[in-house]
Amino acid sequence: MPIKSYLAHPYQGQKMELYNTLSQLEGCEVIPAENKDVLILVTDTETSKQEDALQEKLNMIKSIKLLAMVAGFNASKN
Amino acid sequence: MKRLGIISLFAMLLISFIVIWNRSYEKGLERAYIPLEEREPMQIIPSEEGVFTRSEFALDYAKMPIDETHQRSLKTYYNNRAYHGAPPSIPHTVENERSMGGNDCLKCHENGGFVKKWDAYAPVTPHPDYENCRQCHVPQNTKGVFKGTNFEKIPAPKAGVNNALPGSPPVIPHQIQLRENCLACHAGPSAPKEIRVSHPERVNCRQCHVLNNKEVTDIGIFIRK
Amino acid sequence: MYTSTLSNRRDFIKKMAVLSAMTAAATMFPGILFAEEQERGLPKGGNLDWKKAPCRFCGVGCGVLVGVENGKAVAVKGDPKSPVNKGLCCVKGYHSVMSMYGKDRLTHPWVKKNGKYVKTSMKEALDIIAEKMQTTIKDYGKDAVSIYGSGQWTIPDGYVASKLFKGCIGTNNVEANARLCMASAVTGFLTSFGSDEPMGCYEDIDHADVFVLWGNNMAEMHPVLFSRLLDQRLKRGVKIIDFATRTTRTSMASDKSIIFQPQTDLAVANAICYEIIKKGWVNQEFVSKHCNFSKGSTNMGYGLEDKYSFNDKPEKISFEEYKEFLEDYAPEKVEKISGVSAKDIKYMASYYGDPNKKVMSLWCMGMNQHTRGTWINNLVYNIHLLTGKISTPGNSPFSLTGQPSACGTVREVGTLTHKLPHGVVMNKAHREHAAKIWDVPVENIPSKPSLHTVEMFRALDRGDLRFMWIQVTNPMVTMPKLKRYRDATKKEGRFIVVSDIYPTPTTDIADVILPSAMWVEREGMYGNSERRTQYFEQMVQPPGEAMSDTWQLIEVAKRMGFEKQFYYKEETHIEEIYNEYRKHHEGKKHGMAPLEVLKSEPGAQWPYVDGKSTQWRFNSKYDPACSNDEEFHFYGKPDGKAVIWQRPYEPAPEVPDEKFDFWLCTGRVVEHWHTGSMTRRIPVLHKAMPHGYVELHPEDAKKMQIRTGDAVRLTTRRGTMKLPASVNERGVPEKGQVFVPFFDENMLINDLTLDAFCPISKQPDYKKCAVKVEKA
Repeated sequence: MPIKSYLAHPYQGQKMELYNTLSQLEGCEVIPAENKDVLILVTDTETSKQEDALQEKLNMIKSIKLLAMVAGFNASKN
Repeated sequence: MKRLGIISLFAMLLISFIVIWNRSYEKGLERAYIPLEEREPMQIIPSEEGVFTRSEFALDYAKMPIDETHQRSLKTYYNNRAYHGAPPSIPHTVENERSMGGNDCLKCHENGGFVKKWDAYAPVTPHPDYENCRQCHVPQNTKGVFKGTNFEKIPAPKAGVNNALPGSPPVIPHQIQLRENCLACHAGPSAPKEIRVSHPERVNCRQCHVLNNKEVTDIGIFIRK
Repeated sequence: MYTSTLSNRRDFIKKMAVLSAMTAAATMFPGILFAEEQERGLPKGGNLDWKKAPCRFCGVGCGVLVGVENGKAVAVKGDPKSPVNKGLCCVKGYHSVMSMYGKDRLTHPWVKKNGKYVKTSMKEALDIIAEKMQTTIKDYGKDAVSIYGSGQWTIPDGYVASKLFKGCIGTNNVEANARLCMASAVTGFLTSFGSDEPMGCYEDIDHADVFVLWGNNMAEMHPVLFSRLLDQRLKRGVKIIDFATRTTRTSMASDKSIIFQPQTDLAVANAICYEIIKKGWVNQEFVSKHCNFSKGSTNMGYGLEDKYSFNDKPEKISFEEYKEFLEDYAPEKVEKISGVSAKDIKYMASYYGDPNKKVMSLWCMGMNQHTRGTWINNLVYNIHLLTGKISTPGNSPFSLTGQPSACGTVREVGTLTHKLPHGVVMNKAHREHAAKIWDVPVENIPSKPSLHTVEMFRALDRGDLRFMWIQVTNPMVTMPKLKRYRDATKKEGRFIVVSDIYPTPTTDIADVILPSAMWVEREGMYGNSERRTQYFEQMVQPPGEAMSDTWQLIEVAKRMGFEKQFYYKEETHIEEIYNEYRKHHEGKKHGMAPLEVLKSEPGAQWPYVDGKSTQWRFNSKYDPACSNDEEFHFYGKPDGKAVIWQRPYEPAPEVPDEKFDFWLCTGRVVEHWHTGSMTRRIPVLHKAMPHGYVELHPEDAKKMQIRTGDAVRLTTRRGTMKLPASVNERGVPEKGQVFVPFFDENMLINDLTLDAFCPISKQPDYKKCAVKVEKA
């Protein structure tokens, strides 16, 4: 049941593309910066298995130059 | 002859040393005194200063989770006062009858926090510098009355109806004397849920929220003279 | 009202995760914006149509979204996409749309016939104006007509005014009220850098470590920018130093409040430079590569007499001579005249001198409305130049403005007597450039500047000037020594046209009153303090026959026979005018963004080159106009170097004496803007601040037995009036000083002020004169 937040740096000129790809993934929330080339990505998954699957998908995305994790929580379901 | 020369040289040196030393000593004395008018410490403007007190906690307020089960409401807030704007009475027993704020009330009411005994968050006082709390705030030691009263409690201002336009910042519908510090009552877990501010980190509250009435009676709209 | 959005622990953790990511991003990219997250917190507007515009009021130029429903503007919210205000407004901005709906809005022209105002049609009123202008020119010459505009003019308003008067009619009698508020900033920039307007931008706030506010009550006057300072303090622990003559809300919020005696800011600024040099904090490399030293004339007077003229005679000096000059300004000497302790002077100098601290200086009217306004502007630049703290993110001397387009219209379009849209009238090449674009013979544009604002009203009094058209401003509240100039307008044989939206003391003296369309009732652009040009579309219909100032001028120009130059079509005239205006500024130093960009973005900052705004000018890393292969290039000056000016301390023209024993300072309050003709018609603001008052120091008040609300009589050599007292309320002046806000047309404090001005900028000083204070 992990919740993690990342700063996603796209390759130059691929911010919108990255935004679109990320927002289509399940369990992902994306907040693009208005004036800089960076996006905030928040992932929210139910199990660690799903988390691993999501990680794999993220690794496949080509427009990501760098994905840096900022915070991670292992929340129990309320 | 040679000896005389040396002696006179040393005499000269001695004299010049004394002269120079004296002069510099006097100079030193002069410098030690700078005639400067004493300025009193910084002016404090009560109605303005209050806006910014507690602002150092503003970010903490913004991040604080909300404890849904222990929220105060405006109803209980007003019930505790004879009329809106009156000093609230003390709804709990007090430990020490002869206490002054600093040692007693302020322990909980200066910064607030959860009090297990009362199962509630202590409200924060907007005026911690007035220490003789019980000059204005008295406990409720009985539920009964001596004789009934015809005093009518005027309706208190309501929350959510004080904005002129949809989405515009509400005006301050109450007088602010002794309550200049907005964050004390409008932020944190003890703030009544209806009036808890969603953006405590903005700090300079009165940049957007202005008093709706400087005079005590309604002054109406602007008319050209 | 607050509604809990965190219904469970999981949501809370998610919010924390987002918050940490945002904080991390903010440290990596100062000035970063996350609009989407902010938009979530804003109230959703039901069926409202939200359209973007710059705010109508001050010079900060906040982006606002105006909610329109059934053809009426009904709500305002901050535009989260705007890098200026990032979604926040102040109380004036949030209620700004209400200023369009006052009950006494002017909807039809009024023409004075036989001493009585008669309602007329727009067509007739415009005919009368054109005819009157033509007969005045015939009888008294071209220089007997004038236009007096404002920093609230949109860019097209000012542009057509300049084109009509300077290009077509052929007189330099074009002035704007920005002369009363920004002129010293302009001459400060021109003398120090040779190019007007700040080199930095608001993003400097996100980088700076220390903020020094020079006589600027920012918490009330530029609240949205000040909230960015407060935000940085919470997040990064920056320091805010309030250097002022009066204790205000800003002093309450700042880390340190330093009070100085009126006019002595000149001495203190020099003392800071002295200390910087003495302590060896001078950035030697920067100074030797990029700076010159100069001195100018001194003892130049105060412009109190009619037809006063002054020309500075700059002279190059060496660093050594400059150092010698500063010997008079040791902190220990300066503390005696300024009332600022040597310790406090050294404290400020130490921040400016610390190579590891980025410092931003901010100022507005305190420094500009100053009989040595140009000098004090120069002196603050000196501090930044000596330490090399300029033109880099966070190191920024920043001159703020008070009107939405003081920069955009008055300074960039050049609606001042000596200016052209690009350059000055004295320069032949500049005249030729303008004449070509305007399609007029170059001989039309006179090569000599004529009347600056104060002199313009004096000329009206003398009778040299016979016709004046006043647009979007209220000089019968704002002129210093007001009585003389009010009486001047009422003299026989003067013809005054006033374009405004409400009746004001200025419309009271008009011969023709034209109803104007304001702000989003028409299309236009404003330019704010950080060189940002912002566009707004027409969102609602103006009331009655109200017409934009631009179109009023075009109609009159056509009637005067200038159809060829005023070829614009009614539907597209704003676009046509803007495209024509852009031609004046073409090039890397001042290029303006195309209209499509302004329409789609929250403004663009000139120089706009190759599709990009320039945030920091004179820095080769950011500014494409730098061409000397160095890190910095002050290309405004022919030798590419900025000037460090030797400017001494000189006293104010009128200082308290036995009879008039107090200083009188005037200014603003957060609720009201300019003369209150708009904000007083917003009930929320009127109720919060219903009338003017006079602030006294509590001890002075006690001595005279005056309490808040008591009537106080103020008397200067120019007049006398009664005001209610305010003790220990919004602000507290020093002992021996009083403060009066100028917004109240029923308490015209400018009847008492002095019309002395800075000889270089010709901007009057509203902050200092001698007054007698009595309990009435």
